[in-house]
Amino acid sequence: MNIKILDSWLREYLKTKAGAKTIADLLSLTSVSVERLEKYGKNDLTYDIEVTTNRPDLMSVVGLAREAAAVLQQFGNQAEFIPPQISKPQKVKEKLVINIKNNPKLVGRITTIIMSVDLKQSPQYIKDRLETGSIRSINNVIDVTNYVMREIGHPAHVFDYDRLTTKALIIRESKKGESIVTLDNKEHILGGGDIVADDGFGKIIDLLSVMGTQNSVVTDKTKRILFFIDNCDQDRIRKTSMSLNIRSEAAVLNEKGVDPEMAMDAMLRGIELFQEIANGKLLSDIIDIYPNKPPLKRIEVSGEAINSIIGIKIPLKTSENILKKLGFGVVVKTNTLTITIPSFRNKDMEIPEDVVEEIARIYGYHKLPSILPPLYSAENYHLAKDIFYWEKRIKESLKYWGFTEVYTYSMVSENLLEGPTEQAVAIENPLTEDFAYLRKTLVPSLLQATRDNPGRNEVRIFELANIYIPRSKDLPKEILMLAGIIKKQKISFLEVKGIAEQLLNEVGIKDISFEKGDKGGLEINIKLGSEVLGNIEMLNEDIADFELNFELIEKYANLTKIYNSIPKYPPIIEDLNIIIDPNITYEKICSFIKSQSSLINDVSLIDTYKNTKTFRIKYQDPQKTLTNEGVSKIREKLLQNLKQKFPQK
Amino acid sequence: MQIKNSAVSMIIDAADEKELEEIKLQFLGKSGKLTLALKEITKVPIERRAAVGSLANDVKKTIEETIKNHESRIMNQESKTRTEKLDITAPGIKPAIGHLHLITQAVEEISEIFRHIGFTRVRYPEVEWDKYAFEDLNFPKNHPARDDWETFFIKQDPDPKKGPMILTPHTSSGQIREMERKNPPIRMLNIAKCYRRQSDVSHSPMFHQFEGLVVDKNISIAHLKGTLDYFVKSYFGEDRRSRIRPYHFQFTEPSFEVDVSCGMCKGHGCKLCKEGWLEMGGSGMVHPNVLRNGGIDPKEFTGFAFGWGVERVLMMKEGIKIDDLRFLYSSNLNFLEQF
Repeated sequence: MNIKILDSWLREYLKTKAGAKTIADLLSLTSVSVERLEKYGKNDLTYDIEVTTNRPDLMSVVGLAREAAAVLQQFGNQAEFIPPQISKPQKVKEKLVINIKNNPKLVGRITTIIMSVDLKQSPQYIKDRLETGSIRSINNVIDVTNYVMREIGHPAHVFDYDRLTTKALIIRESKKGESIVTLDNKEHILGGGDIVADDGFGKIIDLLSVMGTQNSVVTDKTKRILFFIDNCDQDRIRKTSMSLNIRSEAAVLNEKGVDPEMAMDAMLRGIELFQEIANGKLLSDIIDIYPNKPPLKRIEVSGEAINSIIGIKIPLKTSENILKKLGFGVVVKTNTLTITIPSFRNKDMEIPEDVVEEIARIYGYHKLPSILPPLYSAENYHLAKDIFYWEKRIKESLKYWGFTEVYTYSMVSENLLEGPTEQAVAIENPLTEDFAYLRKTLVPSLLQATRDNPGRNEVRIFELANIYIPRSKDLPKEILMLAGIIKKQKISFLEVKGIAEQLLNEVGIKDISFEKGDKGGLEINIKLGSEVLGNIEMLNEDIADFELNFELIEKYANLTKIYNSIPKYPPIIEDLNIIIDPNITYEKICSFIKSQSSLINDVSLIDTYKNTKTFRIKYQDPQKTLTNEGVSKIREKLLQNLKQKFPQK
Repeated sequence: MQIKNSAVSMIIDAADEKELEEIKLQFLGKSGKLTLALKEITKVPIERRAAVGSLANDVKKTIEETIKNHESRIMNQESKTRTEKLDITAPGIKPAIGHLHLITQAVEEISEIFRHIGFTRVRYPEVEWDKYAFEDLNFPKNHPARDDWETFFIKQDPDPKKGPMILTPHTSSGQIREMERKNPPIRMLNIAKCYRRQSDVSHSPMFHQFEGLVVDKNISIAHLKGTLDYFVKSYFGEDRRSRIRPYHFQFTEPSFEVDVSCGMCKGHGCKLCKEGWLEMGGSGMVHPNVLRNGGIDPKEFTGFAFGWGVERVLMMKEGIKIDDLRFLYSSNLNFLEQF
């Protein structure tokens, strides 16, 4: 939440010689962040302050003045907080009537009074103060409610007393489907459970703490008002405000939990202002319905606890002074502080740590030393079991092979899910239908990414991300997958296969095999033993993809180094042209050739032309230098056996 | 002698390797002049043969040497002309290279920095139970983050003990997971995808956070400050400063907002920053309830935690002004290939 206030307003409750810049800097370091300090008019300045949601008490001039006084004093500045002191008005003799029936479950406190007013424009200083705070000045009566909210910190409302024809306000929960028209002339259908005021005949005449309704608010004919301050259940207010999308200043503040004690301060200050600027006259006594007065809270904290959390020794006296300046009651006994919580801090002070926070921040976080935590022991570390190590290695390999990494969304549309929706993890409240399911494969997202880059003849992209497989009564299984796309003219399967092989080779996974899948088309499974590590799909002439289960890769990845002794004797290498039926696979021929002699050390295919395949064969004997005669014997036997094994048609 | 002179002059005149080769053939080849002349030697009277022979050999040697010298001269000349013709400003022929995503690069750098001070990197579920994301982190039942305006819920019945299934909105859900995984001392770095129901120029519904958690005996605010300073100086540079100021989170007490001095104005205040400071993210001392929920006795151990956006620190560091954060997830290669 942000609040913008004028320096001159703050100084009505803060007596100090410190400049605005000093106030802003010290508040930022110890309390609320002053995001901007800007000149306003000739002699004034605006503070733009971010207030955290646990401190609604600081969404007011008075609250900030109290806080600033404590902070300024701590850092050696003369400063004094001047609390608002307004006496209760005299009782009136002739009273107008209003019947209020409260529901304490919904509203913790109501203070209200009936007054006569003269409607007109507000004086300039009120307009200035509201408008710097981004509140539009409307007329003096409405302006008083907003002024009080900003100054004291409690939202306030005003009804046209004469428009409340039944003179009754029954506080109740709304029923589902009831409709209202708010003061901005918008119709809303209520969801039920909203806090509303009923006129006793079923007509809703206010949406409490969120926004007034059109049928009861002040108009330009208003003569008599019901000044009304309600302290409602904060959770209901948030629900109403969010579901109706009415984010009024009052609602935003009320849903944070405003101190009910402030309701009376706001009431008295409001009355004073009506008298000052609207010729206000009392037509009733103040009615104060206060069923839920919060109990007084106490917290104990020891000197040791303070020192050990903060990290340096803070004298108890210092802690005591800081807490007192902030409005806490403090009793010191031996080494323990007993703190009484003021009502405006009732909601955010629970445990000793909360007290330590108050001491530490006002003492000054910037005055504490910076020390790295000592490391007494460490977990054992195994590089080969570090999935992040393998991730980095794989990603870098792909990068150096020309692949660019993309990050696409885990959430996909039904279209990109490519599967039955009932078998996918579905989002209950998606932002759009494009993000309705969690994906079960990365490939469709990558294909989309490829389509999103039209006009490129070649695309090589990859992604490493989770897929999500639903499980009954358990979190979905998240599996890290590595997927890539290659788009280029006439992409060959062998090129994609080579990438898969080299990737696995890079992480020490050898002896993989490739097997045609049963999906039809060109889907090829990549296997290690009987386990499928992933697959390659030849989608069309120009696009191929691969997707590998990274968890399995990590499982089998290893840093094992195998040493093969360097041969002492030179090999003989020769190329053999073999005319053979093209349906016989490379692998079959190769393993057959190898099986012919232990001296055949390596076989590779170097060329294929029609039915002729050229194999390069390396003969090597670890014991001696091979002779041409030795090799020719092997060769002759090999050629003969080849002919027998794979006869020509 | 005639042969020698004519050969040498021809050789000197030869302009390139090819010509030289021809000359070689002409004199020294099978039917070359010198070869033929040597065959004639039989016609010379026997007593003069030795002298003629040695002369012929001298001639052969001279021709060969001249050819050799001239050959290397020609070669030098040719390579010189090649160098002169070379346009060294023309583009080089580069090996194919791709690009790692900015997020990967940032994650790598952050991991390295924390690894140096003993943090162990982990990763926990993205689809998470309410228990880990909220309940055990001390979020009140009615906290706004728990409603379906801010967090993505999964279509599945809630678990009786662990509550609804959600997409984790922060890496803090790893805190309880880590406490379940091991006893103190804990030094965790959890970097993961997070999801929030928000999509505009500065919010992507999917983003990345990195979460630090330290739990040990006597861990204090001073230790948190030390760790922050170390990270800020390592990641952003030696001249950058960090500060903590009061903030509010459910799962830490006290809680802090962490600021880094603005790199643009060096902390003097400019349009990019707030009075000289840039907000980096939240941190705080682990709330005793959170330690308790993680099975750790808060009387014996204390800890600190921080959770920051990877995208945020990345932008803050590089000064990259991306108009729309969602651009990071757009797969636009013209963008990705810049890094």
